[in-house]
Order: sequence, then structure tokens, then C-alpha cells
Amino acid sequence: MPQSVLSLERVLSLLPVRVTDSALDDLLFASKAEIDAREGDALTLSVTPDRLDLLSEGGLALYLAGVLEVAHGLPATAPKSPTSPPPRIDCDPSVDRLRPWIAAALVRSPTDAGIDVGTLAEAIRFQELLHASIGRDRRAASLGIYPWERVNPPIRYSEEPLSEVRFVPLDAEEEMTGERFFAGHPLAARYGAYGRLGDRCLVLRDRDGVILSLPPVLNSRAAGEARVGDRILLLESTGTLERTVRETLSLLLVVFASHGWTIEPVEVHRPDRPVDPGRSIVEPRTIDLPSTLVREVSGETLSAAEIERRLSRTRLNARPHEGGWKVAVPPWRPDLQTPIDVVEDVVIAAAIPAERGIVPPSRTLGRRLPEVRLRRTVAGYLLGLGFAAPHTPLLVSEASVARVTGADPIRLRNPVSSEFAYVRDRLLLSHLDLLARNTRRSYPQRFAEVAPVVIRDPAEETGGRTSYHASLVLASESAGFADGAAIADYLLRRLDVGGVREPAEIPATIPGRAARYRVAGEAVGEVGEIQPRILFEIGVPVPTVWAEIDLTALGPFLLRHDTP
Amino acid sequence: MPGAAGEAPDGGASVSLSGPERSVLEALRIASDLPVEEEELAARLGLGLDSVRGSLQRLRSKHLVVLEEEHLTDRELTERGTEALRQGLPERRFLDALNRHGGRLTPEEAATEGLSEDERSAAIGILRRRGLLDEGLPFRLRKPGESDSTLLPEEVILKQIANSEGEIDPAIFAVLERRGLVREVHHSVKRWAPSEEGRRLPLAPAGEALLGALTPALLASGAWQTRSFRPYDVRAAVPYLTGARPNPYVAWLEEFEEILIGLGFEQAEGPLLETEFWNNDVLFMPQDHPARSIHDALSVEGVTGHPPAADLLARVASVHEGRALPGETQPLGPGWPGRYDPAIAARPVLRTQTTAVSARFLARHPTPPFRMFSLDRNFRREAVDAKHHIEFAQCEGIIGEEGMTIRHLVGVFRAAAEAIGIRELKIRPSYFPFTEPSIEGYVRHPRLGWMEIFPGGLFRPEVVRPLGIDVPVIAWGIGVGRLALVALGVNDLREMFTGDLASLEGGG
Repeated sequence: MPQSVLSLERVLSLLPVRVTDSALDDLLFASKAEIDAREGDALTLSVTPDRLDLLSEGGLALYLAGVLEVAHGLPATAPKSPTSPPPRIDCDPSVDRLRPWIAAALVRSPTDAGIDVGTLAEAIRFQELLHASIGRDRRAASLGIYPWERVNPPIRYSEEPLSEVRFVPLDAEEEMTGERFFAGHPLAARYGAYGRLGDRCLVLRDRDGVILSLPPVLNSRAAGEARVGDRILLLESTGTLERTVRETLSLLLVVFASHGWTIEPVEVHRPDRPVDPGRSIVEPRTIDLPSTLVREVSGETLSAAEIERRLSRTRLNARPHEGGWKVAVPPWRPDLQTPIDVVEDVVIAAAIPAERGIVPPSRTLGRRLPEVRLRRTVAGYLLGLGFAAPHTPLLVSEASVARVTGADPIRLRNPVSSEFAYVRDRLLLSHLDLLARNTRRSYPQRFAEVAPVVIRDPAEETGGRTSYHASLVLASESAGFADGAAIADYLLRRLDVGGVREPAEIPATIPGRAARYRVAGEAVGEVGEIQPRILFEIGVPVPTVWAEIDLTALGPFLLRHDTP
Repeated sequence: MPGAAGEAPDGGASVSLSGPERSVLEALRIASDLPVEEEELAARLGLGLDSVRGSLQRLRSKHLVVLEEEHLTDRELTERGTEALRQGLPERRFLDALNRHGGRLTPEEAATEGLSEDERSAAIGILRRRGLLDEGLPFRLRKPGESDSTLLPEEVILKQIANSEGEIDPAIFAVLERRGLVREVHHSVKRWAPSEEGRRLPLAPAGEALLGALTPALLASGAWQTRSFRPYDVRAAVPYLTGARPNPYVAWLEEFEEILIGLGFEQAEGPLLETEFWNNDVLFMPQDHPARSIHDALSVEGVTGHPPAADLLARVASVHEGRALPGETQPLGPGWPGRYDPAIAARPVLRTQTTAVSARFLARHPTPPFRMFSLDRNFRREAVDAKHHIEFAQCEGIIGEEGMTIRHLVGVFRAAAEAIGIRELKIRPSYFPFTEPSIEGYVRHPRLGWMEIFPGGLFRPEVVRPLGIDVPVIAWGIGVGRLALVALGVNDLREMFTGDLASLEGGG
């Protein structure tokens, strides 16, 4: 889950009422945020991926004020006198090769003091969190914050030759060329590939040609450094996915909205597209909420007043409309897209008491799968024969596969370790491992397991067939082929199928001392004495016989007889 | 114990007796005055006492004889006590001297009366404590002549002990013991009798060998009718057997399944190697979701999967891209950013969630009402330690029925928690791409506190509608592996896959 460290003092300072630690615990338990740690002022918080807005101090305070009912509905963010003409960004289609989408907004301080050090730090921290999460480490979207009063609009977003780029990076003192920046700067090493292709890179410049930034890598010092006291900031987002670009920017707005800043749209002009007025990014959008849906999902018959109160608590505005409400949703709630999303807010705006749960009366008959019944039956037979019952993982080690010449299990593309590197295609692979791990135990050793394997099968939808096998191993001074075959014969007999043994070459077994079982011509099992080479390798000092029945292959023959 | 050459091996360890042991046992078996003292037994057998004692101890270790031991305490005079009885106690001798001198005796006269200085000192102290002698010098009898013939209590006790007669005053005995005149002597008397086993033990007639293992030949010959069998020491060590018992983890999971079957759920299964379509896409997981990355899901080499049926693929692609379902005009929602890639849908991956089984179940268009559960293995790309495993068990359950609401989901959580013995439950909001609303049930474990156990929600329209399901479906998944840890009192997830045969065998 996304996680961040917030200043608790800063969150509480935005609330007009005092909130104790235990009250905060309770409020957050009922939210999609969770306290991971609290140490002094540092509040480590995790949120579900749909509520990133709660990971900013402002966003969390906005939410808490709602559930404490000290603030209601949407905060006002529209300016009394918007900038005229509206600010604009001119987007050149050359950006399509790298990051075709850009969105922007203007935020204006409620006071002449402009941005304070705390809000600026909060905005920058939240910006980095958005890069790492929804921005997919800046690949899908990345943000920039600029001092609007030191920029001469309009802004131009285009791809330019590196040779034409000269700027002072935000973290440097001296001017450098595009080539030098991309060749040596650590951030360029990390993110350069998203903003540069060959000898060209993405650039944001103002009317005077002053570079604001090289998206998505770094801002410039000249026009890309927001400072304490700045009263108007330009927020911008570029990226590869239009919706992610817009949502990332919308989320950043919560920091400013929660501190009383106003928000204005920024137009995006492209020669090949209609003008994007940018209003959908900064203004609340409306979702129709039918009252029936609330009842159908929540299971509660809530009054209209209660539903409106709950929506207000969750900082949404609701206006009654035919058969329900028109719900105004702020830009920083991209999780709210459809009516069902809004219903969830209604449901969780009040606590969900466990005692309100209704156990639905059962109108169905519970039952096991017949094939699972078969497996349990066979496991019971093996237990009755005195075989210990291990439970082994489906994934097996490289070593266990290497020792069984002729085995063809599916290999993992991205194993974590060599211990779990293959998907077993027979239980024998796991069971030889088990023998190897128990060489200090006395003999005889007898164990058996009914468990899944995955067999390579190009005809299957998934490329592999999940089958369930019953494998048994008997290691003792006198163990031999006949012992294994006797038990396999017994199992087939108990299941009322007449399997026949035929000589076969089977991996890991002594040639001439192995057989394949067939039922109606279908291969359903194998039995054999384990090769002494393998026994020597794994340190087993006694002869060992193994048998493995494919219960999935056997299934059709059994079900036809309605057994077991 | 191996049998003699030519004999079948014995079916147990034989009980063997030496000659003296046999004699002692036989003597006890015929004795009419049981139990018999060791000395008496030795006398009857004409054997040395030490030999008899040794035989008795060996027979006892074979549980063939029993011992009755009587502990006795005798009182006797010490050498000083015997001397005091003969000469008289010092106080008596001092009293006699006083009487001889008319009840008055100077210290100088006393020194000539044959008592040592210690004896004189002790006698004077005793007589004064008894009130027979006045304080001061010379020594004077308080009532001359009165006590010369009366026996002192100490004298009485000494005589009793010497003659082994009468009740002895323990207080006076203790005084005499402190003066070193008497002592207690402890000893025991050992009497022996044959045990039940000792009585029953077959003893072959002299010169005849006992039979070893009962063999088919012996049975056929009838020799068993006239001969006795060599007895076995039934307490001797026997081969150490181990057995089999149900795997405790698997048994616990099966019990959990029984609970769900009892609640009306039918079982379902799906492939462990799954396509990304069923594992993620159909569940409305965005194709660039972090949980789908190569860092979280296990993918495989050299295996090619296939996309699902074209119409289903088209429907799922529609909801991912925010388009209306084929034949409909309104999209169910805005979908996810980016294009839906059918090539990703066909990629095989080890199943990461049992919800894939629910999706396959729903795709078969079950007739409502329906309830399904699947308790099975899932996989995540995780290093293995005490709290994490690359393979984990999850139990998925769904109920599809008109009228199902979030309150019913909470009710299912409650029923499931109560079925495993947990009564405290609280609910909080959560998030999963495939459910809305999404909630999580926390249960209070008596020892471990609040635990997050039940994630669930109502399947989103984007999940059920492309599958052709029109009723609300509540869905939940339980980390049963974690529950099993708690229930089985295990602290390490790896123990669920233990390869230690000792812990899996009944006798281990």
C-alpha cells in the first residue's frame, strides 16, 4: 500500500477542533488510511491505492474535518476573478514520440504572503509520492511546480534538439547544455529515457524562451523554482497516458485546495486538436446517484437527509435530482468515477457495525467437487497403509530437477531463488527432496502425498495442465519394485479400475525395474525402483521404490462408475 | 532375541532363570508360610544367605517375586548404660553416700565416695532439680532417709530396656539417650513371596527344554500339547514403530472447507498455471497494476497461453478501455488509462489469487442463487521466511443472488468467524480493483489481538457484466494460511510445508 510520513502537527493545525490520539485512531480505522507508526510529530500512514489524497496533510485534514462534521461538502476553490485571458500552454505535436500529454492548472494563494515553507514542502513531498505511485516512477506521469509570477506566458511544450537547450538545472549553479545534462546528471540517468530520444528532448519554455523544465527530469533554476512567498503557482503534468496525466495533476490540487487556495484552469492548445479548456481537471465533476443503488448495495434504507449528510461528511456535495442526486466530486477524488463508487462513500461515511451484518439464509446445497472427494479418499487409503502425509510446495528446486534426467517441468522466468525455480510436473521431484532432507532419520521411511502438479500442454488455454497425483515412496532395506507395484495395484483395485502394468522407461528409475500403468489405454501412473545414482547423491542408504498415480487422468474412469 | 539354530525366531524376549533363581522361585511357590524370611529361605534350601539374596533380587527385577519389608526399631543400653545399671546411676550413688553420712556430706567427703568429678557434678544437678538436695554446702538431703529405697525413673527405664519389657516413657528415654546411656537401633526384616507372574511362569520339568517360537511345524506336530513354552519378558524393549496421521495443516484446511460446505457453498477449482486474463484482466485489474509486475507475480518460460473466447475478450477489453459493452450504448465506467493489450491477456502466470477461480465459475453462467468457494494454492514472488512464503493458501467465496448487499457480506464474515470460534469482528473500508464497495473484516484473536482476516466486497459491474452475470455478487477471500498458523499454534509459515517426517508420523 502507498505509504508516507506526514506531520501530525500540521494535520491537526488545519482542524478547528482538538483531536486526541485515540480519536484519531478510531477515525482512521473507519477510513482508507491506516496508521503504521506514530513517533512524535511523524505520522507514518498507509492508504489504499484509490485514496492517495489522504497522504497529504491537507488532504487528510480535509477528510477529517468532514467526518468530524466541522466542515461540510466540497471546499470552495473557484477564484472570484479568474485570470483573463485564461493562461495557456502551446503543445507541439513533436512531443508525441515521448510524452504526448500535458495538463496544467494555476493555483492562487488566499493571502499576499503567498506560499509558506510548510505548504511548499508538503506540495513537493506529495508530488514525489505521486511520481512514485500513480506516475509509475515518472514513466506514466510526472509533475512540475513553477512560480507563475516569474514566467512569461504562454508556455510552449515541444521536443527540441539537445543542442538548443541551455539552462541552469534546479540543483546546480552554472548553466549547462542539453547534451551535458543528459550525459552526466544523475536524474537524467534515471529518468532521461522518458524525456529524451536520440539528440532531442522535451522542453517547457515561456514566451521569452526561458526554460521551465525538461520534463520529466528536472526543472530549471530560472523559472522552475517555486519559493516561499510565491503567490501564484503553475502546476503541470506530462506523461504517456492522458488520464494518468490529468489524475496526477488533479491529486496535487488537494494540497492547495485544503489550504484555501483557489484553482484556475490552464488551456492546452495544439494545432491538430481542439483547445482543451482544462476545466475538467480543476472543476468538480458530477455523478448521478440513483437512490435505489444506495439501498441495493448498502442493504440499508437511509433517509434522503442521511444520505446527503453522509456525502457531506465525505466532502462531496449532493443536489437532489430525479430519482436520486447529482453528486459533485472534487478533482482530487479520481477514485469516484461511477455511481457505485459514490455508493461506497455513502456506505463508509458511517461506521459499518459488524452486528448489522445479516447472515444470508442458505438456499443452496453445499458440496465438494467429486474430484476432491476422490483425492481425499485416496489420501485416506494411503494413510491407512501407514504412509506419513507431507504437504510439499508446487515449486521445486533446480537441484531436484537436475538429478532427474528426463523430467520436463516448467521453469520460472523470474524465480526468487534456486530453491523454488521450477513448477513440478510430478510429485517425485518433491519427494526425492524430502528423502534427501530425512537421511538422518531411521529407515524404513514411508510417505505419500496427494497434491497438484502442472504438466506442459500447449493445447491447454494456460499452456499447462494442472493435474492431481498421488505419490508414495517406500525406502527400506528390503524395498523393491514389487512393494511399490503392490501398493499402486491396491489403490487401483480399491478404486475399482483395472489398471495394467507395462514395461516403460521412466525418469529416475532403474531401467527394467519400472512400469507404466494404463487404464483403457490411457497412461494413469508410474512405478519403479529409484536409480542408485540418485540415492547415492541424496544420501539414502537403502533401496527405494516410488509409485505415482495421476488421479486427474483416472477421474473419468471413476466417475463413469460413480465412485468413490 | 535370536532363536537357537534351527528354531524359528522368538516372538519376544525370553525369560531365563539361573539354577539358584529357579530353586528359590520353586521354594517360594511351594511354601505354605508366605511370605518367607530370607534367612528361613536360605536355611530351607541349604544355600548361603548371600546367594539367596542375590537370586531374590534378580527374580524381583524380572517381576517374578515380591518383597515385603518390615522396618523395626529396638532400644538398647549402651556400654555406659550397662555399667550404670550394674554400679548404679551417679545420682543414686551420691544419694547412697549422703544417706551413709546421715544426710549430710561435705565436698571433701563427697570426693572420696568413688564418683568422678563429672559424675558428682551431674548427680548434684539432677538431685537438686528433683528437690532431693538442698542448695548450698555442705550437701544436705532435704528429707533424709526418704528416698534411699525409691527407684529413680531413670533407673526404672534402664531396667525395662535391659529386660525388654514395658512401655518406655519417651521423655525420660530421650534424657538417657542424651546422657549416652541408651540408644535406638533400626533394622528390617525381608520376607519374600512369588508374584502372580512368578506363580504362573512355566518351569519345565528338569531335563526338558522349553519351546521357543510357535511355528507352523510345531502346530502341526502337536508337540505343543505336552511341552511348555519359554516365557517372554513382556516388559523388554520391542521394535520402535512409527505410524501415519493426517497432515495437520491439510486437515485444518479440510475442516475449514467443511464449514463452508455446511453454509451451502459448492466447491470449485481452477488451474494453478493461469493466464493473465483470468488472473487479472477479467477481474478489472489494470494491465499496468503493480501487483501484476514481474516483481510480484511469477511468470514462466517456454510456455504459451491462449486468449479466451473472442467475444469474452472483447467484452473485457471494452470495460478496461471504458467503452460500452458490445450491444450496449453506455459504458459501465471510464475504464483504465491506456490501451488494453490482448497479448498480455494470453500470458501464463502462476495464479496469484483464488479470485481467478471465482471468475471462471461466473463465466460458466451459474443459475442464481449460487454460492461457491475455492480453497487452494496461490503464488507470489516473495522470498521465503517465517512470515512469508512463495506459496500461500487462500479461500475465496462468492454468493450471487438478488438482494445481496454489503450487510450480507458482513453477515458472512460474522458466520465464518464464529464457525472458527472467534466472536469479535470489526469492519473497515478497503480497496480492491474488482470490488466496490470493498471492506475488510478484522477479528480479535484471544492471544494475538486484532487480525485482518476477511477482505471482500461486491464485485464491480465491470467484473460481472462482461461475464453475463446480472445479480449482485458478494465476494471475499480469506488468508487461511494465516488463520491456520493461529489455529495450529505455529509461528513459522515454513512449517506448513515441513519435510520433517518425524513430525508427520504418529509415533514420531
